[in-house]
Amino acid sequence: MSAPLQETLAAEHARLYLYGVLGARTSLAATPVLLATLTDCYRQHRALRDQLRQMLRDAGAEPVAAAPAYDVPPGWTSPGAISAAALGLEVATVETMAAMVARTIGEHRRWALAALQWSAVRQLELGGEPATWPGAPELA
Amino acid sequence: MTTRAAVTRRTAIAAALAPAALAGCDIDPPPDPAPPGAATPTPLEDSVLVGSLVTAIARAEAVVSAAGDAVPRLRPDLDGLLAAHAAHRSLLVEAAPDAPAPSAPEGAAPAARQAALAAVRRSEQRLRGQVERGCARASSGDLARVLAAMAGSLAQHAAALDGVQATAPRPGGRR
Repeated sequence: MSAPLQETLAAEHARLYLYGVLGARTSLAATPVLLATLTDCYRQHRALRDQLRQMLRDAGAEPVAAAPAYDVPPGWTSPGAISAAALGLEVATVETMAAMVARTIGEHRRWALAALQWSAVRQLELGGEPATWPGAPELA
Repeated sequence: MTTRAAVTRRTAIAAALAPAALAGCDIDPPPDPAPPGAATPTPLEDSVLVGSLVTAIARAEAVVSAAGDAVPRLRPDLDGLLAAHAAHRSLLVEAAPDAPAPSAPEGAAPAARQAALAAVRRSEQRLRGQVERGCARASSGDLARVLAAMAGSLAQHAAALDGVQATAPRPGGRR
């Protein structure tokens, strides 16, 4: 019952870590808009993580813990690369949430659907374009 | 390539709507158990749901087309949305080929740019709500995932349209 939530939580732990890395590599003076966007994304993913933890506890499960560290892909240095990396994190978020939608019902499915839509829209601020099947690219 | 894509699409939704698939051959692990007392949706209900969404998408498509016809300058901003609607409807029609034909939209689109955009936004908001409710109701997890992706697409296009509206010239030339 809690496996889809645990897997989504594990993915959110990784994204939160990676957003921290992206934020630390972004200059407030040189790219204030990008830093503000990354900060907003970090806060939203932190909220998603906390909500997932609470949902798991409410279901009587122990939330999976974050790893001490996660692999950081090479090349996250320029503002363009950082923005593209953040876009990639949101693309992955939408896919994760779509998978959770498929494997849950009721309140949990509605939560994943809302998170999916938030992340899909956030992609536009990171240079993404509206897609036909966000989260389900094999349908294109 | 095309054959493979077609098989994948059928696997994702059309096959998911088949009674045998819903009886236990779904590609995804079973969803969370339904809470006690909850109504148990049936495969027939999923088919009806898909049929109603085909009709809803076609209606929204007609509103977008009418807006583009009434205000040709809007067409470039609406082409992506129209293409998404067509793709969404096409996939659902594969699953519900007997869905009733949609009725024509009521009245013509407003001829003013802002009013035409507002009509499209209202129509899109209504459609998105229907897709969200359908996603929540779907008994097939695969169908729910397809509808979630559709809702994500509609959310993105709505946000893009908001940008169009924000940059559109206002009456009198003032922003």
